[in-house]
Amino acid sequence: MVFNSLTFIVFFACVLALHWLPLPWRAKKINLLLASYLFYSAWNPPFVILLWVSTIVDWYAAQGLVKAQRQAARHAWMLLSVIANLGMLAYFKYGQFLLDNFSALMHAAGFDYQPAHYDIVLPVGISFYTFATMSYTLDVYLRRAQPAQNLLDYALFVTFFPHLVAGPIMRPTELVPQFAEPRRASAQQLRFGLALMTLGLFNKVVLADSFLAPVAERVYDRANIPGALDAWGATLAFSGQIFCDFAGYSTTAIGAALCLGFAMPDNFRFPYAAVGFSDFWRRWHITLSSWLRDYLYIPLGGNRHGPARTYLALMTTMLLGGLWHGANWTFVVWGGLHGLYLSAERALRARCGHYRPGPLAFLALGLLTYALVNITWVFFRAKTFGKAWQVLRGMFGQNLDVHPILSTFNLLVVTLIIGGILITHWRMRSRTLEAVIARTSALVVGILWALMAFAIIIAQGEGSAFIYFQF
Amino acid sequence: MPSSTSSSEAPRDPYARQTASDRPGVAQPVPVRPLPVHPWGRILLGAFVVLVLLVGAWEAYWRSYGVTPSIRNTFGLWAIQRRRIDAGEGNATVFLGASRAYFDLQLPVWERLSGRAPIQLSYEGTSPMTAIEDLAADPKFTGNLLFGVEPDQFFSGRGLALGVARYAHRESPSQRIGQWLSMHFIEPYFAFYDADYALRTVLARQPWPQRPGKHWFMDVRKLSMHDAQRNAWLWDKVSLDPVYREIARAVWMEEFVPYPDDPTPQEILKTEKEQIGRAVRALAQLRVRGVRVLFVRFPSDGPFLESEERIYPRKRSWDSLLAATGAPGINFADYPEMQGYYLPEWSHMTRPEAERYTAVLYRVIERDYWGPDAPDWPRKVRAVQ
Repeated sequence: MVFNSLTFIVFFACVLALHWLPLPWRAKKINLLLASYLFYSAWNPPFVILLWVSTIVDWYAAQGLVKAQRQAARHAWMLLSVIANLGMLAYFKYGQFLLDNFSALMHAAGFDYQPAHYDIVLPVGISFYTFATMSYTLDVYLRRAQPAQNLLDYALFVTFFPHLVAGPIMRPTELVPQFAEPRRASAQQLRFGLALMTLGLFNKVVLADSFLAPVAERVYDRANIPGALDAWGATLAFSGQIFCDFAGYSTTAIGAALCLGFAMPDNFRFPYAAVGFSDFWRRWHITLSSWLRDYLYIPLGGNRHGPARTYLALMTTMLLGGLWHGANWTFVVWGGLHGLYLSAERALRARCGHYRPGPLAFLALGLLTYALVNITWVFFRAKTFGKAWQVLRGMFGQNLDVHPILSTFNLLVVTLIIGGILITHWRMRSRTLEAVIARTSALVVGILWALMAFAIIIAQGEGSAFIYFQF
Repeated sequence: MPSSTSSSEAPRDPYARQTASDRPGVAQPVPVRPLPVHPWGRILLGAFVVLVLLVGAWEAYWRSYGVTPSIRNTFGLWAIQRRRIDAGEGNATVFLGASRAYFDLQLPVWERLSGRAPIQLSYEGTSPMTAIEDLAADPKFTGNLLFGVEPDQFFSGRGLALGVARYAHRESPSQRIGQWLSMHFIEPYFAFYDADYALRTVLARQPWPQRPGKHWFMDVRKLSMHDAQRNAWLWDKVSLDPVYREIARAVWMEEFVPYPDDPTPQEILKTEKEQIGRAVRALAQLRVRGVRVLFVRFPSDGPFLESEERIYPRKRSWDSLLAATGAPGINFADYPEMQGYYLPEWSHMTRPEAERYTAVLYRVIERDYWGPDAPDWPRKVRAVQ
């Protein structure tokens, strides 16, 4: 189920009520585990089996890792976990993609190969929970963490509904210890958790779904050729949509967990105020970028084996990071562009490390970063390279004599919301949300809370899925 | 990948905390989530009171405009009716079409006359082609099909809800529960809960300055009311409020004026043939199972009728459809008793008129096509009886 649905409101009220009952801690954890399975199976019941497979394989792999005496045995247990998880991911997410590419390759080589089309349904959130479970065995393998004390705690770590389908991608060391002792939110935590959920849903339902998504759709999902204003308008709208959608999900998830007394990590830190791309990736989807860094970039050598190896590791990480987002070459290009940006930045820093920009240059570099990030969003949003080139040509003023696509209202929406996002991110780039709220008067906080809740209600969202569910 | 935060960007506030990006290559600790110091109890209470007042004012505003609560026509509502075929009503009469088949056929009247509740699967603003292809592929459906033909939807294949059949087959348990909750606890009580009064829709239809170079079409306004069984009827305001009626007419009038982006006559003809081809294939599948299909051209009036006859002349479209499919059809132009109804915005009847029309249509169908004494009653069915 999705957070922005009536079903979730009822579900969450029941979970909260159960969690507040005077039951033994173990019973409460079992309640949370069953609720999390219900949460997942409310989308497609059979796919809960995949969760069980992933849970059991990694549980036993970690047990095997601890008991193994020889390094070869440890390798084997680690590989079992990686192959099982990536195997599931490969079949469900990349099966058709691989088949289509193999077919295209055969055609290019002159063979008439027509594979059957398998209508494989992508289990929601599979990329998220496979990464979460893999981090468990990998942390044990790398001797960074001890395995969980019992299967219940571990299963709840994998399945805990706030982070299950779209993150934040949690590490076992972040969540499993929280299950060791009884937890129940204080009244203050519950209220602030509800406020965070309102903020997250406002981002998703009002800003992303109601106002920004239709603008991007008008350009990206139709055949009309966009001019410069329409191409930039739609791409900026998408930059806002994907931020509000995904950061909104993370904020709602963090709020939901807080209502139950659990802490989840930050996943976004005002990313559109980033200056440079390393800064961007410290602010955007933090739990994914740090996962890729810890389990891919560093094992590939990181920056420990000279510049050439560093760039290779960087590009490999970002290309695979792109592919993680979706089984389409456009996502690979998106990741590749970010890899190139990061490589270029690293090279520039090596040459001009002493440079310290003044305030205006700092702002200009920030805006340049945002503009270049928008170029990458074109490949993320466009379903085909043809559409991506069409929009890019528009953004660079190459589509002349075309009809306008976006109305004045749509352009106004983009200007106001994206302008608001950029100003907010720049004002808060070195602060936290909590600090800003603490410095705001209680009256203003209350009114803003009410206005956001009111906007959510009158926006009348219809439970559309979060963008990152598909990843 | 970068692995540390520069000292110049070190957080300065008491709520500052590190993230995983600040801790490369180590086990991540339990996150810390400090709470902003505030009287959260009073804030929550105050916010709730303000929220109730705002929602109350919004509801009062739309009720003063004449809006009353109605069940929403959603994919979920359609899916409920579609599932009746799977649940043992496969031999029922199904209505398929766009808004005229939806608003002009009154289910209670049909049920009273036939003794059986029909299944309404029409969807406004949508070609029924994907829905009939879905029914054609479903062996459980063996009943009668009243297939509404609204030329601009039927022959164009366009639609707002072409994915509804796919949705119905893939609807998740969560979506089903959400539909049930909404139609029992929200929709019957809140007038503002209607797509026409959603925040974005309301803001978008304000008189914003227009960008030069293109005409911006008005969106169709709320035209109908619905109940939980998908009985729909034209909203009273369309007929009783002259200002609103003019708005509804103005929306249609925009569509009748040719614009440079419109498809060419060759493109229209090509699409029309494709849609007829789809109908032929679907009907061939349905006939194998003994499904009786009857095309119905509902009344339209004024500029709407003129536009339809100009773009989709009867001889070329309607007559070709009947000839290609070999199925019978009822065109209102051929039946004096199906003419002269009041269609306030030229496309749909008022509710009393729709009730009268449904009764007339039912009698004609029984007499000429589906009744036991109808001349078109298939011989093999007579033999079985």
